[in-house]
Amino acid sequence: MPIVPTGAAKKNCVDLLFSTVTAVASLTVVLLVVGIMAVLIRESSLAIDRFGFFRFLFSVEWNPVKQLFGAASAVYGTLVTTAVALIISIPTAIGIAIFVTEVAPPMLRGPIGAAIELLAAIPSIIYGMWGLFTLAPIMAKYIEPALQSTLGQLPVFEVLFRGTPMGIDLLTTGVILSIMIIPFTASISRDAFNLTPPVVKESAYAMGATQWEVVKNVVLPYSRLGVFGGVALSLGRALGETMAVAFVLGNSHKIATSFFDAASTITVTLANEFAEADSDLYLSSLYYLALVLFGLSFTILAAAKIFLLKSERKYTR
Amino acid sequence: MTREQKRKIESFLALGLSGLAALFGLFWLVFILGDVLVHGIGALSLDLFFKDPVPAGQTGGGLRNAFVGQLMITFSATLIGVPVGVLGGTFLAEYARGTKTARVISVLSDIMVSVPSIVIGAFVYAVLVRPLHHFSGWAGAVALAVIMIPVVLRTTEDMLSLVPWTIREAAFALGAPYYKVIIQVVYRGAATGILTGVLLSMARVAGETAPLLFTSFNNSFFSTDMKGPVASLTVTIFQYAMGPYQDWHSQAWAASFMITLFILALTALGRLLLKWRYGR
Amino acid sequence: MEVWTVTQPIGLEVRDLNFFYSGNVHALRDISLPIEKNRVTALIGPSGCGKTTLLRCFNRMHDLYAKNRYAGEIIFEGRNILADGEDLINLRSRIGMVFQKPTPFPMSIAENIAYGLRLKGIRNKSELAGRIERVLKHAALWEEVRDKLNASAYELSGGQQQRLVIARALAVEPEVLLFDEPTSALDPISTAKIEELVTALKQDVTIIIVTHNMQQAARVSDMTGFMYLGELVEYGATEKIFTNPEKKQTDDYITGRFG
Repeated sequence: MPIVPTGAAKKNCVDLLFSTVTAVASLTVVLLVVGIMAVLIRESSLAIDRFGFFRFLFSVEWNPVKQLFGAASAVYGTLVTTAVALIISIPTAIGIAIFVTEVAPPMLRGPIGAAIELLAAIPSIIYGMWGLFTLAPIMAKYIEPALQSTLGQLPVFEVLFRGTPMGIDLLTTGVILSIMIIPFTASISRDAFNLTPPVVKESAYAMGATQWEVVKNVVLPYSRLGVFGGVALSLGRALGETMAVAFVLGNSHKIATSFFDAASTITVTLANEFAEADSDLYLSSLYYLALVLFGLSFTILAAAKIFLLKSERKYTR
Repeated sequence: MTREQKRKIESFLALGLSGLAALFGLFWLVFILGDVLVHGIGALSLDLFFKDPVPAGQTGGGLRNAFVGQLMITFSATLIGVPVGVLGGTFLAEYARGTKTARVISVLSDIMVSVPSIVIGAFVYAVLVRPLHHFSGWAGAVALAVIMIPVVLRTTEDMLSLVPWTIREAAFALGAPYYKVIIQVVYRGAATGILTGVLLSMARVAGETAPLLFTSFNNSFFSTDMKGPVASLTVTIFQYAMGPYQDWHSQAWAASFMITLFILALTALGRLLLKWRYGR
Repeated sequence: MEVWTVTQPIGLEVRDLNFFYSGNVHALRDISLPIEKNRVTALIGPSGCGKTTLLRCFNRMHDLYAKNRYAGEIIFEGRNILADGEDLINLRSRIGMVFQKPTPFPMSIAENIAYGLRLKGIRNKSELAGRIERVLKHAALWEEVRDKLNASAYELSGGQQQRLVIARALAVEPEVLLFDEPTSALDPISTAKIEELVTALKQDVTIIIVTHNMQQAARVSDMTGFMYLGELVEYGATEKIFTNPEKKQTDDYITGRFG
């Protein structure tokens, strides 16, 4: 007897057309990823040929006049500002997530969560304006001198707090970045916390655990992957942030040792120098920077996505 | 002190700290929004909307060119990004539902949503600005559309997936071809959700500056020619804030206020729509 | 082969039908049965017996999902509708379906009906209005909704929604209507209304109804097929199946000894 597989029926022409159009539309995403990668590589080929990979990455000199370009100072600035931002934001964001899932009265949980998420809706240029005109002066006048007279007096830490506090520096940038990424870590951690099965929490309470012990011993271990995902996503965001950083970091291609030094990041270098790059090698080196940034953030965001997918799968099975 | 008392105190302190963390977050929100409000409202004037900039250093003038430019670029980006995003999301949720292809594209979109926007600006510069030898409003619109597409695509996919599968079966059972099922039944069921996605993606790109820096660039004159450089509020804010004049600073604050207002209104509208339609 | 006593012309004939879900789950085994025209045929049996699977073969709903396979034939109007190249759009407009849970579309009551009519190519406004009224009357819903035709279909009660969905299916003017446990989500009063409607509709359409409710099968159907583990155990006049079945399995199921 003939076996007929399903789907072996007459196809509708319009349907075929519509499905093709939608398929092409969804492929634009793939094309964009591949296209961005290809264009960045092509545009930076001149600089790649000239400086290679390790020499570019580890050379401190960024000198358009001498036509010498090294990414070290920009990469260093990117990493330091991001690290400061993570140090401040991770505990805060996890604290917020604990508060809105376990501690706050149920009526307030939604509104507080929404308010924190609103921080992510504020455009980065606004963070930049506020950082430059409001936060930086406060940092320079009160917070940085205070740090200098306390932590700055300790033997080893002293190096980190040298120099005149101007407010336009690594520390201010890190603080602003941390505020910008708190909502990402917080909302993803909150969602992960909410996935903890109530029965497991209840059985811990039934053994006489305190609320904090339930959070620490049940909720946090259960949602570890989700929290990692949230942190990784925030990390990816912080690496690529441009405008807020461009306002408050200055643009100095030096390896800064003090939190009170101006510095540069990959994004700031691009924003400030792209339109005025006057030689092919200069522009190509900027594209090389963009390529490094794209590769770095793409990898981290992909890792974040994998963490999140894994944590979802853990609970939907 | 007994062991139990110690544990209770520890719990109280730890949870108290979490409350402080929430206060810390809310503090920044109020601080930033309040600051923009205070500086912005004081600098608002009718001239801001109806006059073009005066030469640098002189007082007076407005940002009419930037307001108009911002709207042109944002709406052009929406016109490009929304159809592509909605159709692409349709493919993932319908024709390619459950396939590996759909999963890969979905994950790639999620990554693209967070890719540094300045990289997208550099990409569009290489593709649309340098080959044509001039900055253009269209290049800016395309850069913003590139940011929009994955956002709209993913929301569309999610919203279409929320429409119960039985509704589609019922439409198939009437003899409707799939495209009619999608356009006439599924889209209607997901319309509010998709609209929300569009609003939120507009809110997302309306505040973007980095991708415009070297695509639409800036223009101190009034221009509606999308083939040439077009002023935008965000790039103007950057330029004015970093400039030396007091007048520029206050105009930058006023522009910041307007942008924030626009974006928060879009975001709030989108969230209300979601709450009203899906109760969450 | 068994010999069926057939008193009516045949509307659909199933011949040696086998059906495999993806992963080669053999869900239907050598099913053969004639479906008589303008009669109500009930398919009963315990959960997982294949009755819904069989029902979904008639309008080839299984084609929506990849990797399912049919073997055998279903003859409808002289042709095998399981053959390659069958126009499913056309087939489904001739053989309609009503589902377990009401499936109104996210639009107004009138538009739900108009949707079916438009698929048939009717666009003229006054003709649409006339037909909407006729179809709603046919489905015994008109009196309840005549004043709120433009209200959302979701505002109707579950029973009303199910009658709306039946009306929508009728609007396409099918020859056959498939009912997949149409009252399992409804209260007893709504159920009674749907049952009345099913009985009334057989003048115009051939009806196949899957139900887990034996009283319902006894009340509404003329013919009954009892299925078990993917096989058609017994098929015959409803009265005979319920009072004097030939197979022991049927008897056991009818009298509630299993399933």
